Amino acid sequence: MRKFLAVVKHEYKKVVLKWSFLLGTLLLPALALVFTFVPMIIFSMRGEPTRIAVYDPSGKILPRLEKNLSADRIIEKAKRAAKDSLTDINASREQQMRNDAAQFMQDFKLVPYSGQGSAEEVRSELLNKVRSDEIDAYLLVPIDISAKDAKFEFRSRKGGDFVSNDTLKDALNDAVRSQRLADADISEDRLSELSAPASLDAKGLDETGEEKDTGGVFIASFVIGLMIYITLAIYGQQILGAVVEEKETRIAEILFSSARPFELMMGKLVGVGLAGLTQLGIWVGSVAILLAFLALQTDMSAILSTVPTITPLMVLYFLIFFLLGFFIYASIFAVIGSMVTTVQEGGQFTFPPMMIMLAAFYFCFAVIRDPNSNVSFWATIAPFMAPITMPVRILAETPPFWQIALSITVNIAAIAALVWLASRVYRVGMLMYGKRATIPEVWKWIRQP
Amino acid sequence: MPETLDSDVSLRISNITKRFGDFTAVEDLSFDVRAGRVFGFLGPNGAGKTTTIRMIVGITAPDEGSISLFNESISYATQNRIGYLPEERGLYKKMKVVDQLKYFAELKGVSRSDADKKIDFWLERMGLGEWKKAKTTDLSKGMQQKIQFISTVLHDPDLLILDEPFSGLDPVNVEFMIDVLSEFRTQQKTVIFSTHLMETAERLCHDIILINKSRKVIGGSLREVKESYGTNLIAFRGLNAERVISDKLLVDKIVTHADEQELHLAEGVDPQQVLKALIDWGADVTKFEITEPSLNDIFIEKVTNA
Repeated sequence: MRKFLAVVKHEYKKVVLKWSFLLGTLLLPALALVFTFVPMIIFSMRGEPTRIAVYDPSGKILPRLEKNLSADRIIEKAKRAAKDSLTDINASREQQMRNDAAQFMQDFKLVPYSGQGSAEEVRSELLNKVRSDEIDAYLLVPIDISAKDAKFEFRSRKGGDFVSNDTLKDALNDAVRSQRLADADISEDRLSELSAPASLDAKGLDETGEEKDTGGVFIASFVIGLMIYITLAIYGQQILGAVVEEKETRIAEILFSSARPFELMMGKLVGVGLAGLTQLGIWVGSVAILLAFLALQTDMSAILSTVPTITPLMVLYFLIFFLLGFFIYASIFAVIGSMVTTVQEGGQFTFPPMMIMLAAFYFCFAVIRDPNSNVSFWATIAPFMAPITMPVRILAETPPFWQIALSITVNIAAIAALVWLASRVYRVGMLMYGKRATIPEVWKWIRQP
Repeated sequence: MPETLDSDVSLRISNITKRFGDFTAVEDLSFDVRAGRVFGFLGPNGAGKTTTIRMIVGITAPDEGSISLFNESISYATQNRIGYLPEERGLYKKMKVVDQLKYFAELKGVSRSDADKKIDFWLERMGLGEWKKAKTTDLSKGMQQKIQFISTVLHDPDLLILDEPFSGLDPVNVEFMIDVLSEFRTQQKTVIFSTHLMETAERLCHDIILINKSRKVIGGSLREVKESYGTNLIAFRGLNAERVISDKLLVDKIVTHADEQELHLAEGVDPQQVLKALIDWGADVTKFEITEPSLNDIFIEKVTNA
């Protein structure tokens, strides 16, 4: 036991007292933020405004379309959407939305086109304009918009810009609907009354039936999944490196003449695992402090209300599942380390476990979308996957306790099997120098008494 | 086989065999190592030396036979009484000398404060006091070698097993290490010393065993081994002697050295008979000395004739 503790201490210090540990502790939260916000920022970046020539022989659609695409109208829509998640919009927020909308308007420049002749002639003339870069797109409005086979033709060089296309489609739909109602002799006042939207107050319910806000759940779950995934990948590699170093430098021979191979391997796993736990602890602690600090700033309370409540029990679960994941992947990496002769060689073998981890990370999206589906159930019970998917599910919507217990049991069983396997490969593989072991050889080591 | 309780014997190997699949690495090997003596464990590469040593230090277990250390069966408990310097050895690359030594000492069950004192003592003894905080990568090969040696003696072992301890050391450091080893010997500790450098073995070892192709070839005290090999070897220097020494009835083989010749006498020939023949012939003899075979000669003969 004393020797085991000596190994634990040695491995723990080896990880924690390195610069890379400090750097990683600071860098990973930054990386998580980047992964979360960079896609958002990239999607919000806009190119040149799209110049759209509108051919509207009836002259009724274009004014409505322009009105629907105006800043006021877009703000109104945004407010409606915001109402679902935030209770009230203060002045600074309204100003920000106005700016967003004004910017959005710059996406489109509607140009009336009043060409003469048949539809074919208009179309070919507009196509020429697109080719000569006078306009980017054109919209052909049919003469009789109420006809059953009425077709609105929109052709754009920027066909892939789905954000703009959706906005345009919504605005056009609204315009045509309003015009059809107007054609049916319904007054504009009555029209705005009729088209007032239903106010949908959407909130999730947790298992006790209590309301909770769903707004920040997606991001928070995503961040947790990402964090566990990255930490497991980093500490798995750490184990691989530590095992290969002792094999490569032949220190293993000295170690094996001093302590039991099983003690040495478990000491290594526990030591590095505690180092990982230390790092996670620092992260969880600093997030808690940050949130407490934000809570004191009154005008930040709106943001806080979108952060899902994380109870101490949840934190305990995260740490448990991190440890489960760590022991699963660390024992796999220990096996790989004792089979190969250099870290580079080990790199090729790490591909399968890394793929499983990545797959588990992708399953997180399915879990966040519907935490109670069959897919989510199996993905959060399965060994190898659960350590990454279950914390995400617990945060998104805590499943019944028996499911968490089942998941922990299944994964502990997997760890027991893997550690047994790893210790058998380790005790022989660490003393085999010169060449990489083949799978049949490893199989022989496992069956050796 | 009845265990004879012999306080003089520190390590007893009884009929051990170790196989790896179809390959037999060690076959029916037996020998005793006596306390307070230096034991040479000799043999060519691949003879089974490292496999045997691994069984003594408890890394692997023999398939058959038994090993006992101080009348105790080999187990994880006996590991703490052994210091082992493997042939293939290393240090953690990016770790401070003192931290590595502390770790190795702790793994051998040495207490913290005890380890600190011993590390300081040994670093000073080896002339490496100022390198205590240095990393392995800053040390020369010879320094690393000495650090590795320290790690094998920190826990004050009763049995020291050194596998090729001088490889990579310059002659000055070899002499230095031999000094350190002789200090160890006076403390009534047993040293097993594995090498293929016969000159060093001849100088250091009281007892030897030579193994080849997984089996014991010859063993005993250095004296016994040499005597059993016969005394029909003569160092000879002289002029006008060709006729006599080329007589196949008298001399079986002549090995010519730089300034003298080594005469291997034919079987049953008395050295006096040869000397008489030389004088009768009128040879001008300046050196005629009956010598023992060197360990090197025995090694080569036993290994090549096998």
